[in-house]
Formats: sequence, C-alpha cells, structure tokens
Amino acid sequence: MSTRQRSRWGLAPIAGIAIILYAAFLLWPLVSSFVTSFTNSSPLKATSSFVGADNYVELFQDPRLYRTLGFTLVVVVFVTVVSNALGLLFALLLNSPSRNYRVMRTLVFIPQVLSGVIVAFIWRSVLNQNGLLNSTLQSMGLTDEAVSWLGTPELATFSICVVVSWMTIAFSTVVYTASLQSVPSELYEAARVDGAGALSRFRNVTFPMIAPGVTISVTLCLITTLKLYDIIAVLTGGGPANSTQSLAFFLVEVAFTENRFGYSSAIAMFLLLLTAVVAYSSTGLLRRREAHL
Amino acid sequence: MSTITQPEKAVRAHPVDDPNRSAARRSRARAGIARRSAHLIAAWVVTLIFVIPIYLAVSGAFKTQEQILTEPLALPSPFTLDNIVGALQRPDHLIQSGLLNSILVTVATLVLIIPLASATSFWISEQRPVIRGVLLAAFALGLMVPPQVVLQPIVSLLQSIGLANSYPGLILSNVGGGYLSFAVFLYVGFLRTVPREVVEAARVDGAGELRIWWTIVMPLVRPATATVGIFLGLWVWNDFLNPLIILGPLQGQTITTGIYQSVGTISTDYAQLFGVMFLAAIIPVVGYLVTQREFIHGLMSGASKG
Repeated sequence: MSTRQRSRWGLAPIAGIAIILYAAFLLWPLVSSFVTSFTNSSPLKATSSFVGADNYVELFQDPRLYRTLGFTLVVVVFVTVVSNALGLLFALLLNSPSRNYRVMRTLVFIPQVLSGVIVAFIWRSVLNQNGLLNSTLQSMGLTDEAVSWLGTPELATFSICVVVSWMTIAFSTVVYTASLQSVPSELYEAARVDGAGALSRFRNVTFPMIAPGVTISVTLCLITTLKLYDIIAVLTGGGPANSTQSLAFFLVEVAFTENRFGYSSAIAMFLLLLTAVVAYSSTGLLRRREAHL
Repeated sequence: MSTITQPEKAVRAHPVDDPNRSAARRSRARAGIARRSAHLIAAWVVTLIFVIPIYLAVSGAFKTQEQILTEPLALPSPFTLDNIVGALQRPDHLIQSGLLNSILVTVATLVLIIPLASATSFWISEQRPVIRGVLLAAFALGLMVPPQVVLQPIVSLLQSIGLANSYPGLILSNVGGGYLSFAVFLYVGFLRTVPREVVEAARVDGAGELRIWWTIVMPLVRPATATVGIFLGLWVWNDFLNPLIILGPLQGQTITTGIYQSVGTISTDYAQLFGVMFLAAIIPVVGYLVTQREFIHGLMSGASKG
C-alpha cells in the first residue's frame, strides 16, 4: 500500500506543473474564448459588457463567414482527395526496398519538413505574374500572355489548393508507404496463387490492409487544412478581393487587425466546432470501415 | 498477372529438355526486366516532377537573377555564391538573428517539454483508471484544437502576467499548449509497451519515484523521446502564427516570421530570395536527412497514437 501510494504522489509535483501549464495555455483559453464570445470585448476598450448571442447573430449574417467557409471547404475537400489519391499512388509506385526507390522516397518527403512560409515563398516565385512558371510557358510558346495564377479568385484558390496538396502529398506518401510495408507478403502470394490479377489484388488485399493508414492520412489532412494560415498569408495575403481567406485567416484578421475579441471568439467557437465535427466524424466513419473490411 | 502464370503452367507440362522451356523463360525474364525498368523510369519521372519547386529554389540559390529568369530549369552557370553571401550580409542580419532566435525557442521548448511530458505520462500511467481517463481525455483536446482558436486568450494571459511580446512567453505557450498533448499521448502509448516488472522491481528495492523515472523509465522510452524531439522540434521551428503574434515585430524574429516580414517586399529578386530560403531551410532538411529512419518510424507511431 505504501509503495502504491508513493507511486501516486512521487512525481505529482512535476505532473502538477504540466497540468497547470496545460490548463493555463489550452483549457483556460478555450473557456475564456467561449465566455468572451458573449461579450463585446476589445483591447481598445477599458471595459466590456455582456451582449448575449449578438456576436453569433452577427456572425451568421456576415457574408464573410460564408465566403471564408466556402473557400475553406473547397480547400479541405480538394487537398484531402488529391493528397490521399496521389499519396497512395506515390506509395504504390515507390514501394520497393531497392536503393533507387529509397532515394526517391527521401526526395518526395522533403516538402513536409519545410515550413509553410518557405514553401509558399518558393511557390510564389513560381506562380507570380512574372514568375518561373509563366516565363517557362512563354518561352516554350504554350501561352502568349502571362497567366495570373494568383491574380483571379478562381486561379488563386486553385493555386492554394495545389501548394497545400504539395505539402500534404508528401505526408500521405509516407503514411501509405509505411502501411504498405506492414502488409504481409504471404497475402499477396496467396492471392496470386488463387489467380487474382493486379487490380483485384489491390482491391481485395492491399486496400483493406492499409485501412488504418487511410484513417490517419485523411484525418490529419482534414485537421491540417482546417487550420490553414501561413501558406495563404505568404502566397496571396487572402486576396485577390479577399477570395482566398480561410476561416482561420478570417479569425486572425478579426482578432488582431480589427481588434474585436468578442466577435473573433465567436468565430473561434465556430471553427472549433467545425473541426471537432469533421475530425470525429471522419475517424468514426473510417474506423467503422476498417472494422467492416 | 494471369498472363504470366498461364505460360508457367504450360511450360511445366513440357519435358525437362524441351528447348521451348528455356526460350519461354528467357522471354519471360526479358518481359520482367522491361517492366521493371519501365516502372523505374516512370517512378523517377513522377518524383522529379514533384520536386521541381525544390530544385528551382536550391539551384536558384547558386544562380544569377538573369539565369533564374531565362533558364529556370538549367544547372547554375555561372555558379555563384553571391546570393548566399548577400543573404548573410543583409544589414538586418535576418539569417543570423532569425536562426539564433529559432534555435533558442526550439531548444528551450524541447528541454522543458520532454522531461515534463515524460514524467507526467509516467505519473498518469500509474493512476487509477478513472483519473487516467479524465486526464487523457483533457489532453486529447489539445490534439485537435486549431492554434488560432486559443491564440487571442493566450496573448491576453501573457499580457496579464507580464510576459507579452517576450521569448519566455512564446516558450511557455509552446510548452503548455497542444504540443504537450502530442508528447503526452506519445509517451503514454509507448509506456504501455514497457514491462511493469522492471519498475516494480526498482520499487521493491526502495527507489523513489523521481529516481525510477529518471534512471529507469527515461532510458526505456528513448524511442518515444526521439520521436517527440524530432517532431516537436520541427513543428516549433516551422511555427509561424504563434511567434508572429506572440513576439510581435519589436522583439526580433524567428526565421519564419523574419522571412515573412523582411523578404516580402523584395520577393521579385529571386536570386536573393532563394539565397535566403536556402539558408533558412538547410537546418530542418539536413536534420531530416540525418534522422530519416527515426523520422519515418516516429511519424507512423506518432500518427497511429494521435
């Protein structure tokens, strides 16, 4: 009993520090944000008062909410689909122990270790009006005029989708490569003996076996894109005409440019709820699928 | 694939000395080699297309602005170190001070968070199931919360304790936030694989908890520590919004916020831009190349726990 008790309390001071820090820098901010969302708090005012659900009423009438939500969902869906499809394809293509393929895998994973700021700066030099993509296209005679990759709402949205996917493909590829390597080779042998073709082997052996990898890769893609900020800040600054602002970008704008903490907290609660719903439903759905297979 | 297995059966039916057999085997071998080389070429083509942006930046760091614009895909000719030297000689010392500040923030965060998270995780693992469940549920929250959601309350909190716009403030918010959740989940998951007997034996010998944690548990969870160190190091290093808002423009900058704030205006000077990018990215990329095995292994174990 005494050893059991000691084991409960011996490290308690250190655990206490960690829990206090976590409470201060994660749990309290969540509570505080929730409370603030019902006030008109602002750093420019000495006092703030309770305004009920006004911030939420304003939020749901704010066209900026629907614009940023629409943009966010477009990016989330595009990036999740593209990076998982291409990540899986890359993993299948590069899944071999030989040295050539090891080098290729090393190269493909590099985008994931770069910061979003650096990735966005590199791509900006490619996508700029007088950037490297336009100069290449023009010198090859493929276009006469420079394409405004970041200058129109549609193309800028597309460009952001491509750049974000470029980073997440790298991540998905590693997850799928590791999943593929965990599939026992006897299963392939057995399927081959049974006369299963390549496509059928993929559908009936590979795909079910990598289901946990799908769950991980899809969920992390969703969470990553829902909080997208740095690539947008560098690549387009939210423009043109505010068309590439994500929900997270909108939140930061309202909080730190407009200095409306009450309103930004309401946006924060909305973003938190959206993330929770998306994350839990995706893991729930995919886990169920894992079980069925 | 069925096209391969069928001739195999057909061949097997022939007598051993049938000349058809070796011919069939040769043609099959040839088909296999052709398919393998086609696969290899396809894989290289796709990989090289994918990494073109990296190539542009790396080769551009050693090219003249003129060559970058006229032949973006060519190798540097003439090879020049002007961009690198230029980046290092900027009057604002962007690279030197940015790298120094990033190293400071990253190292301080890791030095604090690793012992804190591992001791806390060990302590949590020893608790009754109810307490353990509650604590893990609370820590799970941090894995999901987008950093923007808690940023403004954190800034207000730091203001009220006098740490606004300071490095200690940034480091503390790193240590106490979602990164701690990640580290705790990784350690708790890893501790499940550690045999209880080792810890119990030490306890019977009368060792204190602090001693058991430091001399027995820490060496056993070293793979988890490697994963935590690699990933949190990378994330803290690459972090952008937190240092941008928490440090503010007056307190110097990390390498990411520094690039954002000072390079933005000159970004059509690609030669200079690529020189700066090269120096800013070299530490994480070399770190990745050196720790690649642990990196990929850790990604899998980290991701499956998260």
